[in-house]
Amino acid sequence: MEPKVITLTVNGRKHQVALPPNITLLRALREYLHYTDVKNGCEKGDCGACTVILNGKAVNSCLVLAWQADGGEILTVSGLGTTSNPHPIQEAFADTGAAQCGFCTPGMVLAAKALLDENPHPTEEEIREAISGNLCRCTGYGPIVEAIQIAAERLAEGGQK
Amino acid sequence: MKYKAKPLPPVNLPELRVVGKPLRRVDALGKSVGATIYADDFSLPGMLYAKVFRSTVPSARIKRLDVSKARALPGVACVITHAELPQAVLVTDMPGQTGQKRRAGSDAHVLAKDVVRFVGDPIALVAAETLDIAEKALKLIEVEYEPLPAVFDPLEAMKPGAPIVTPPDNIVSKYKVRRGNVQAGFEAADLIVENTFNVQFVDHIYLEPESGVAWVDDRGVVNIRVCTQVVEHFRSIALALGVPHNKVHIQGTMVGGGFGGKEDITVEIFIGLLALATRRPVKLTYTREESIMAHSKRHPYVITHRTGVTRDGRITAAEIKLIADSGAYVYLSPYVLLYSVGTATGPYRVDNLSIDAYAVATNQVFTSAFRGFGAPQAIFAAECQMDDIAQKLGMDPYEFRCRNYLKTGDIGVNQQIKSAAWLEETASRALEALGEKTPAHGHIKVGQGFASYMQSYGRIMWFHDTSQAWVGLELDGTVVIRSGIPDLGAGQVSAVCQIASELLGVPLDKVQIYHTDSALTPLAGTSTATRQLYMSGNAVHQAASNLRKVLLERASKDLEEDPANLDMADSKVFVKSNPEHFMPLTELLAKCASEGIHLSNLAIFRAPFTSPIDPENVQGDIWPDFTFGAMAVEVAVDTETGEVTVLKSVACHDVGRAVNPKAVAGQIEGGAVQGIGYALMEDCMIKEGYIQAQTLSEYLIPTAVDVPKTKVIILESGTGVGPFGAKGVGEPAITPAAPAVANAVSNAIGVRIKSLPITPEKVLEALESLKQKEKVG
Amino acid sequence: MLPEFDLVMPRSLNEALQVLAAGSPEVLPIAGGTNLTVDMRSGRYEPKVVVDIEKLPELKGIRRENGQICVGGGVTIAELLKDGLVAETAPVLKSACALFANPLIRNRATVGGNLVDGSPAADTAPSLLALDAEIELTSQDGKRRLPLDEFFIHVRKTARQPNELVTALRWALPKPGTGSAFYKLGLRKADAISVVSVAVVLEAEKGVCRKARIALGSVAPRPVRAKNAEEFLTGKLLKKEVFEEAAALTAQAVSPISDVRASAEYRRRMSAVLTRRMLEQAAEQTGWKE
Repeated sequence: MEPKVITLTVNGRKHQVALPPNITLLRALREYLHYTDVKNGCEKGDCGACTVILNGKAVNSCLVLAWQADGGEILTVSGLGTTSNPHPIQEAFADTGAAQCGFCTPGMVLAAKALLDENPHPTEEEIREAISGNLCRCTGYGPIVEAIQIAAERLAEGGQK
Repeated sequence: MKYKAKPLPPVNLPELRVVGKPLRRVDALGKSVGATIYADDFSLPGMLYAKVFRSTVPSARIKRLDVSKARALPGVACVITHAELPQAVLVTDMPGQTGQKRRAGSDAHVLAKDVVRFVGDPIALVAAETLDIAEKALKLIEVEYEPLPAVFDPLEAMKPGAPIVTPPDNIVSKYKVRRGNVQAGFEAADLIVENTFNVQFVDHIYLEPESGVAWVDDRGVVNIRVCTQVVEHFRSIALALGVPHNKVHIQGTMVGGGFGGKEDITVEIFIGLLALATRRPVKLTYTREESIMAHSKRHPYVITHRTGVTRDGRITAAEIKLIADSGAYVYLSPYVLLYSVGTATGPYRVDNLSIDAYAVATNQVFTSAFRGFGAPQAIFAAECQMDDIAQKLGMDPYEFRCRNYLKTGDIGVNQQIKSAAWLEETASRALEALGEKTPAHGHIKVGQGFASYMQSYGRIMWFHDTSQAWVGLELDGTVVIRSGIPDLGAGQVSAVCQIASELLGVPLDKVQIYHTDSALTPLAGTSTATRQLYMSGNAVHQAASNLRKVLLERASKDLEEDPANLDMADSKVFVKSNPEHFMPLTELLAKCASEGIHLSNLAIFRAPFTSPIDPENVQGDIWPDFTFGAMAVEVAVDTETGEVTVLKSVACHDVGRAVNPKAVAGQIEGGAVQGIGYALMEDCMIKEGYIQAQTLSEYLIPTAVDVPKTKVIILESGTGVGPFGAKGVGEPAITPAAPAVANAVSNAIGVRIKSLPITPEKVLEALESLKQKEKVG
Repeated sequence: MLPEFDLVMPRSLNEALQVLAAGSPEVLPIAGGTNLTVDMRSGRYEPKVVVDIEKLPELKGIRRENGQICVGGGVTIAELLKDGLVAETAPVLKSACALFANPLIRNRATVGGNLVDGSPAADTAPSLLALDAEIELTSQDGKRRLPLDEFFIHVRKTARQPNELVTALRWALPKPGTGSAFYKLGLRKADAISVVSVAVVLEAEKGVCRKARIALGSVAPRPVRAKNAEEFLTGKLLKKEVFEEAAALTAQAVSPISDVRASAEYRRRMSAVLTRRMLEQAAEQTGWKE
């Protein structure tokens, strides 16, 4: 159980942090590095609120041991954009009402990002499938699907990436 | 096309500039970039982490409780049991802001004194330097139980000799309705239909588990930053903490979903006690498992309908019995039950009516508020009953309903309907939009069904509900709103910003709201009962209108025009007939400021006040108004596996006036999907007091691939009692979904499933029973 | 909160096997962690040592090898789902991967992990059983291969010894005239634990069944094959009545339990219904029309 210094590059910022081995990436990000934009909804991979993009893949950060992410690149929703400079996906989420209570939103936006990186022109079915690991209790998913469709269009029109 | 939209009565809605527009909500971008700071996202230096030790048995006497080992663990700052706080009482049935008389035995000990009543009953609190130490400390607490008799079925709990869960007896609440001549009504009937319906325990599953941070500051004030629907709980919290009301300061956060589950007190008293004991900040966040174990559930009901109808489809009498499972504590059961009574018939005129309703205690997790507050259960039963009667009469279910729908001026269960009752208007549109039935193929049968509903918005009027709001203008022409509204994600704060923007002629992005603070923002009342747009919308409307009046009066001097001829838009005051003749708002504000004119207004909106009704015959005005609407769905049923797939979903509601149509549509879609989950998959599965669905692997809510897009049709009668004629739709949105799904399933397979959720297994059982019947027949 | 453990991060398979060599059941490997992290948090497992095998290059890769397909034990479900070779040679596995948990889990969960967990509901198990897959277990003492059917023993019990890792899975290239189908019945359309899952692979020649494999999940203490039905089918003309009989035999072969998701009776019934349907679909793919 000796802590080890690991390196996590989060949103382009390099962190070196000493962590015991039984700390998940979720806890490392929230409790040790204060990326509280990564949400904890269940801690067992059922809800997707803690989704981050780890080395290019959307994953549940609650299931990854932080040491396993040593040397890795992590993107959280706050690294994608800010209120003054939002990413087109975030803009679209705001425009369609895809964020109601907003607690699933960080994970949902990143699931959308992972999808659009791989498939810039997804069908509605593909969108629904891509976010099927991210639970939302407020919207009924319609506005989220619409946001991802709009974001895809805007990105195709040459919106910033 | 079988169904055609019924033409709408003429409505004259004034054209507005901001209200009625699908604008981006003021909280939307912050949430989309992850900048919103929820309850668990907040920390303070030197903060301790708390955990709750809970009962693992449903009914027992605590023979021995030993926390000494936990206290001795290095890093543990504090362990609290009942012994340390004999005075701490948790008020379970006083809803927020008014001094209702509480039922004997309704209050609970904050921590179990000598008995535990359900699996999850809190027994001890731990605060430690780290979360890991707090968790270790929990494992060191020793408790010995002496099992006590338990009861898990409300019907059993009503019987004489049943174990008493909530002294003095298990009937925590009861109501009766006796109207007209029920016997004569049944005698006049050509057909009497009787059915019993069952609904299950369900959980809110807001994505954000309960959380809060408490600290005692330099003034001795207990500050509690928490996700709650009710900042007015500060009074009950103060009582439990043993401090004056003015020494508890609730700082409400943006709530990551509430749906009624954060209406009762959750972590507040626990962290308040620990902060007082340690004089250090304390954080407590539930795990998902603890959330499911510890917070309220929607009441399961057993509902029996006996309805008499004539051959031509008129209801002559109804006898309805409702039994709700209140769980181990009273909480809001008496009020939930009353709402079920008020909606028990569905939106139909029943002149000869008898209702008996009971809320009964059992040794299970307590039940309390959940979106719909008693209406989803009552409407599920009523709307399934209506479909069943129509089928037995051989009538079209819409035709049959049309003969019985309430109309404006009619008396529902207890009170007269005053606003537009657009029942045909909403149902016909939902059905028309649903369109032709998708063809069945092979073992896949397709069915369509719908349900109408009525549901109140605004609180019970004998609570004497009020909301206050403060609206002010800054010298640069920006607007400040101060209001205690908790925002659950339904757009509560954004809606009132839109109202102020409209009335003061200032763009929405120049309106800033400060909200959800029990000490620093005027109390606006609870974010419950679909009341915030109605109550706080009116309060902000009032404050902004008062301010507008002052400004226009002052502007009239410079513009040399009667204030009645002036208007405000785009940060200008102008002459209506000649907009070129205007005064910039900043210029007007500078003048007002230099003349000492008040640039703010604190308003209070009061709902109509009434006196409590007689529970022996629930008659008279209870609610300010009702929302009406319908949902229609199409399902495919696999008759070999019993799997049900929702193919189409349409919701049509008269929202009075949509302040923000996009936000309204979002509420309606979200409600529809929650209701579909209720119908098809959600269930706590409580067995002998133990919740089997302890995590989100077993407690299933719909994912994005489980539901189609719900088509939303918004009607605006303009007849609501909210601002600009708005009605409330937050809770009503869920109500018609489950019966619409059940009716569609029945339409598909020709047999009715009378209990929720409609699992594949129940579908097959129903088909089997149909086969047996056909054999016998 | 996770229990306290030491985490060893070997850089090669050999290093990993060294750590496991003592054969202690208190030393557990972790790859994607989608099972183990959850099970450690719930207290089901409290290992003293956890060995991270996620990035071991020896466990990666999907390739053709001596007329077989060879998949590393550390290949993720998402990698299987996207792989052209899998799609071409084992569509029945691809179908199972498409319904495996959800996209986030699929990015982490590995096929080896799915199997060693020993869950009767393991989503890849029926398809791999129907493919007659062989599992390769490696320890410091060497490699051994065994039919997957011999790997599963009981709930959370497999043939894997504590000093072994699942290093590969292999199955034969499909013969011409092969058809297959997979169905997962859950209480939700995504991210659900199966109530019953069925995988079928048929080899046929002119409508006559040469070889049949029927495997099911969540209907016994381990993923199972309906060998009685497989035998019955062999040599029979692929037609409705035969499928019905095979389905009835399958229902006899299973030994389901009742749990929170479904009753034993329902599972037994669904075993028959879904087997019949999968046989019909697989038969159609063999190119034979009744």
